[in-house]
Amino acid sequence: MRRSNPRVATLAKRMTPDKVAIRIVGVSHQFGEATEARHVRALRETSLEIARGELLCLIGPSGCGKSTLLNILGGLIAPTAGAVEVFGKRVRGPMPHDIAFVFQENALFPWNTVFENVNLGMVFQGVPRAEREARAKRAIEAVGLQDFPQHYPAQLSGGMRQRAALARALSLETGILLMDEPFGALDEQTRMILGEDLSVLLSRTEKTIVFVTHSLGEATFLADRVAVFSARPGTIKKIVKVDEPHPRRPDFVTSAKFTSIRNELYALLHDEIRKTVAESSVSAAGAHPP
Amino acid sequence: MTPSRDQREARLASRAVQVAFLIALLVLWYLATTRWRVSPLLLPNPVVVLRDFWNILTTGEFIGDLRVTLTELVIAFTIAAGSGLFVGYLVSRSQYCIQVFEPLFAGIYSVPIILFLPLYVLLFGLGPASKIALGATISFFPIALNTIAGFGYVERTLVIAARSMGASDLQLFRFVLLPAALPVILTGMRMGFTVALLSIIGSETIASLAGLGHRIVYLAEGMETAAMFAYIAFVVAIAAILNTLVSALEARGRRRR
Amino acid sequence: MMTSHTMQRPWVARAGVVVLLLFFWEVAARGWLDPMFVSPPSRVVASLPTLFDTRGLPAALRVTFWELAVAFALSVAIGLAIGLAVGLQPFARKSFMPIILLLYGTPQVTILPLFVLYFGIGPASKIAFGVSHGFFPIVMTVVAGVQNIKPILLTSARSMGARRGQILRYVIFPHMIPSFFAGMRLAMTGVLLGVLLAELYVSTAGIGHFTTLFTQNFDPTRLLGLISVLAAMAIALNEIVRRAELHFSRWHSE
Repeated sequence: MRRSNPRVATLAKRMTPDKVAIRIVGVSHQFGEATEARHVRALRETSLEIARGELLCLIGPSGCGKSTLLNILGGLIAPTAGAVEVFGKRVRGPMPHDIAFVFQENALFPWNTVFENVNLGMVFQGVPRAEREARAKRAIEAVGLQDFPQHYPAQLSGGMRQRAALARALSLETGILLMDEPFGALDEQTRMILGEDLSVLLSRTEKTIVFVTHSLGEATFLADRVAVFSARPGTIKKIVKVDEPHPRRPDFVTSAKFTSIRNELYALLHDEIRKTVAESSVSAAGAHPP
Repeated sequence: MTPSRDQREARLASRAVQVAFLIALLVLWYLATTRWRVSPLLLPNPVVVLRDFWNILTTGEFIGDLRVTLTELVIAFTIAAGSGLFVGYLVSRSQYCIQVFEPLFAGIYSVPIILFLPLYVLLFGLGPASKIALGATISFFPIALNTIAGFGYVERTLVIAARSMGASDLQLFRFVLLPAALPVILTGMRMGFTVALLSIIGSETIASLAGLGHRIVYLAEGMETAAMFAYIAFVVAIAAILNTLVSALEARGRRRR
Repeated sequence: MMTSHTMQRPWVARAGVVVLLLFFWEVAARGWLDPMFVSPPSRVVASLPTLFDTRGLPAALRVTFWELAVAFALSVAIGLAIGLAVGLQPFARKSFMPIILLLYGTPQVTILPLFVLYFGIGPASKIAFGVSHGFFPIVMTVVAGVQNIKPILLTSARSMGARRGQILRYVIFPHMIPSFFAGMRLAMTGVLLGVLLAELYVSTAGIGHFTTLFTQNFDPTRLLGLISVLAAMAIALNEIVRRAELHFSRWHSE
């Protein structure tokens, strides 16, 4: 299903195949049949290439399809049209050796300790027993939880739980990390700290990260590129580049470059958010979206 | 949101499985007694059971036993409800009392009180009195516990608001405490009724001279298995009717709120 | 002041209430109640040794305990098997749960004579009746435990490459454990009720034989003694299951 898309063509010129981590070609998705009450067009045709070692943020109004796209990238949903390639391989289902997830909600198993949670991820992936303990320790240290391996999730704060979820994903040593609003449920200060730590981590590894967020500031601080989505059914409206090396210094946030990028994102998003709000009040009143 | 085609199909399919299952059971039962020659003393012919059931209803021979059981039930429940509500209300008046008595009641209730039946038989004989005593004893606890819970945990803000408007004790009870506690109390009373019915039938089965439970045992000992099956079906039906009635009353009471 | 401080602890007052009741019972039984029907607690306690000397009684207690244990174990095994079979497969659950709920709601005590008819007057009918009371709560709680698992946990496991068997073993099973133990607590209550009901109905070797004996001989002392021992057994068994539930649900903060 290859349509000639100018954006893909442009990117293809600049990125050689081995530099591309994820290639998204003409992906769109709808839930349910057109005749059913539950039908929703979640994502309009989208194409994009993501480079190795890049941190790409997906930002957009509620329901624009960014989480759907993330799930499609990770093989959790099969798109109704289009295809995704990861490291040259077609995505047909979860690829635990190449892709690891960090979710917003608490996806840690509450009956296991931090260490057991990290260990279990590797059990699922198929890591031999001899390697697991060392890798778990490294991952837990990398996120700063080395004093809490025997704690249960219920005993940890929200920020620490997400660190543990990140440790679990890191221990899988995948090339790609998909993060769906991982800091969404946390307070502002914790988000800041975790964002800075994530930036430091990224600078040390060659991981490709796709990061979904609602926060303009977070996107600007973390991303190499920000893909701004339009309202539902969404597609990528524009890609904004953030040319600043990792690890990002905390005072980047107060710089003029940061402010101008953030303002640009705000301008792009504002109309889309308004559109989404208007549409949801119309649907609430009984009409169907066009 | 109207159910989609898939959901409606799925529901029909499960219904179909349920109906098929029940039909299969009935067919097996019929075959077992007619073709496979299972002894009618163990498993009576369903047609005979149906006939006996019809006979019971039309001749009215159940009236005597039903009257005994219902009388025991009504008296036991009345005693339990009266004492349960009264004691529950008294206890609920102070947090300290609640802390002392609630775990006590809960603890006693966790023991199978049916154990006291031989004692009651010793004290009151094999007549209705022992069944009433046991039914009342067992039924007391859910009613008392729920009354304590109902009155004891009324939102303090409601009480303070009423008092600040000058409500007297009686007014407070009638307009604040009672309506607030009513749903929980009604649930407790429903539970008490169910448990009273069960324990009365149970004690009639074990040690009695009359009543529905006794009738079933009498027929069992006389090896009149078909009639016994018919009576079991009858008792199950009566219990279902009574429980449905009581649940409906409970729901109506709760809805008024 | 010492008294008011200790009076502030509810368990002291509770113990006080119990002591007070025992005291009244003692006085009433000694004073004006007919000794053919009522016996004071002191005499009941004092005659416990003679109770255990009664021929056949300790054996009867052992038999009853054994019936309870077997009925409980069977309830758990059968309940777990049915609960998993029904809970893990959504279609099976939708089809069969209503039937199970319907059966659970019927007054089982009406078919007690049937159980004896089919299983005889020995321990088998007691165990069977106990199982029929005990396995329902296990089925309910296992189905509930499997049902209400958060979808994100299953998605998370799947994304890490877990296969179906691994999801069952590492995600569904551990999630179900607190519900399962709550079910076991209810199952123990049910088993106690079922076995004791059956024992009281007809018993040749179990304690039901002796309750009938003491009742017919107007021996309230030994009857009360036996009831107390049985009540203590019931309390102990309930407590064991309750503690197990607490222990295995430590992580369960919801």
